[in-house]
Amino acid sequence: MELLEPDILLQLLIGGLLAGMLYALLACGLNLVFGVMRVINLAHAELMLVGAFGAYVLFTIFGLHPLVSLLLIVPVLFIAGYYLQSVLIERVVERPMLTSLLATYGLSIILINVGLLLFSADFKSVPVLQGSFLIGELTVSKPRVTAGVISLLLTVGVYLFLERSHLGKAIRAVSEHAQVAAICGIDVRKIRMLTFGMAAAMAGAAGVMLSVIYSFWPGSGIDFIQKCFAIIIIGGMGNFLGALYGGILLGVVEAFVGGFASTQWAEAVAYLLLVTVLLIRPTGLKGVARA
Amino acid sequence: MKRRLSLFALLSVVLAIIVSPVVTHAKDIVVGTSVALTGKYARTGQEQLQGFQMWVDEVNARGGLLGQQVKLVHYDDESKPETGAKLYEKLITDDKVDLLIGPYSSDVTMAASTVAEKHNFPMVSSGASASEIWERGYKNTFGLYTLAELYMDEIIELGKAKGLRKIALIYENTAFPRAVASGVKTKAKQLGLDVVFEEEYGKASTDFSAMIIKIKAKKPDIVIGGSYLPDSVAFMRQAKENRLYAKIFAFAVGPGLPDFGQNLGLDAEGVMGNTQWEPTLKLPGAKEFSEKYKAKYGHEPGYHAGGGYGAGYVLEAAVKKASSTDRDKVRASLASLDIVTAFGRYKVDATGKQIGKPGYWVQWLSGERHVVLPAEVATAKVAYPFKDWGKR
Repeated sequence: MELLEPDILLQLLIGGLLAGMLYALLACGLNLVFGVMRVINLAHAELMLVGAFGAYVLFTIFGLHPLVSLLLIVPVLFIAGYYLQSVLIERVVERPMLTSLLATYGLSIILINVGLLLFSADFKSVPVLQGSFLIGELTVSKPRVTAGVISLLLTVGVYLFLERSHLGKAIRAVSEHAQVAAICGIDVRKIRMLTFGMAAAMAGAAGVMLSVIYSFWPGSGIDFIQKCFAIIIIGGMGNFLGALYGGILLGVVEAFVGGFASTQWAEAVAYLLLVTVLLIRPTGLKGVARA
Repeated sequence: MKRRLSLFALLSVVLAIIVSPVVTHAKDIVVGTSVALTGKYARTGQEQLQGFQMWVDEVNARGGLLGQQVKLVHYDDESKPETGAKLYEKLITDDKVDLLIGPYSSDVTMAASTVAEKHNFPMVSSGASASEIWERGYKNTFGLYTLAELYMDEIIELGKAKGLRKIALIYENTAFPRAVASGVKTKAKQLGLDVVFEEEYGKASTDFSAMIIKIKAKKPDIVIGGSYLPDSVAFMRQAKENRLYAKIFAFAVGPGLPDFGQNLGLDAEGVMGNTQWEPTLKLPGAKEFSEKYKAKYGHEPGYHAGGGYGAGYVLEAAVKKASSTDRDKVRASLASLDIVTAFGRYKVDATGKQIGKPGYWVQWLSGERHVVLPAEVATAKVAYPFKDWGKR
């Protein structure tokens, strides 16, 4: 069977890893918010699309390369997320789960419809970074390798920030126990705003990366948010590294299932993987999940 | 106080009725349709609606149908068959429309036509071509499009003439793409070509790289996609990324639309596809329609717009022939009608399936879409073979 030839396997592996890195960037942001404030942000994928459409607009109007617009979109989404937290999300933190689900669901509906008004339901794409280069017999897609590597760098960067920096420690403290963190003199409200800003910025960055790989329209979010849910449950709810591993795992397994079975099966993989992980390790790969 | 409140309520109800946007005069002929304005088929659905809207404007400018103004009621079926079915139920029972136009896509039409059949309501179906739709013994669905099974015939004949043997076939897992695929398999068998790779994919698929890696290993001469617009664009983009090469690339829906070239730029070069209609065809009124459409919407109409426009003219001819909007009379006249509109010939068999209209094939050449097959209507010669990615 020609599928078992090493170069095909390697080709599938590379494709899967690169896709997984993008998933990871998106899912880590979602998990960060959940970890710190126990809010599942249903509008996370729409924030990603804000980034994607931002890249599209900057490219079509000003001819800006998406890698340049990344430098603009990330801070803009950080600020937007920061204030979105203080205006909206802050009001639903520590409320019953349904309240925050409804609030973020509402936000996603608003964003989708604003998108439809501004951009219609057509598929958009940013035609830069096309084609591929060859390493021996392997073809490496330029947009995917760019998106994958940048996504990984950003995710690891945020991880190091959380682990090493003072603020990062404060974020983790709030995630561990908000009340104790507050007693220790941490401004919990500020930390939450910072966290949501970071998550929004990560989603925006993922959107810019998405724009160079796929075509998208304002309703594209659903496919991604569903995968993200699977990823964070697979990796462990609220665990940043868990989402990173989960994302990459999903990307690779999808690629191999797509290769050995079919693309249709690859779309179901997220959920099969989810059920499998829940059966074997109910808390996800990296544990946690105390709500 | 209570009295004043109820008076206020009454007043608001009256006011609501007066300013209500549904101003249907008793004499209007109401035509109902639902097309995809969001979701996967949005682009093509919107075109179909705009083409149809153009007929509505024209017929009203000419003094209406049977002396009455035509009013269009339309909804967005979100590219979903289940939503389409609900909307046709609503059009027939709530809105009490006089005439029906089908939705876009075979997928949604399968569902909508079942509702029309249940109410015994004739429906002119633009935007559907899977012959499965007409194989259920229904009496109320009248097709406009050349059948999906014939979509790739001349492409495969071209391959045969060039001595090609191996076909890779991929298609979405819904009615129309499956019909295209079954046509490809039949034709390939007939001409002695082999389908060396075959795979279905989901409606929401955006990533075909794993599939492309497998196709590459089979080294096909021809790659055929039973596709819609978004998937054909994504596939070509990823074919380039993965350096998949074949002598012919052909897609069902996609290359026939201006968006294909806009999205892919130079990578569209040489890609072939089916088309139901092109503005350059020598059909009565096609050129005028194309010019008017371009003036109104800012771009040339593709065949989806042409189909919507043609559906209007078929409906008009049927109503005129019946001299009434009575369902039984309209059904009878749709069944026996044989006319040529700006969209081409309309003639159906006993099941309502289109048998009068031929298919056409396009190819992207120097950034433009040209009709290349059949030769008698071609505006350019087929460019063969497809230029390898490295040599562009």
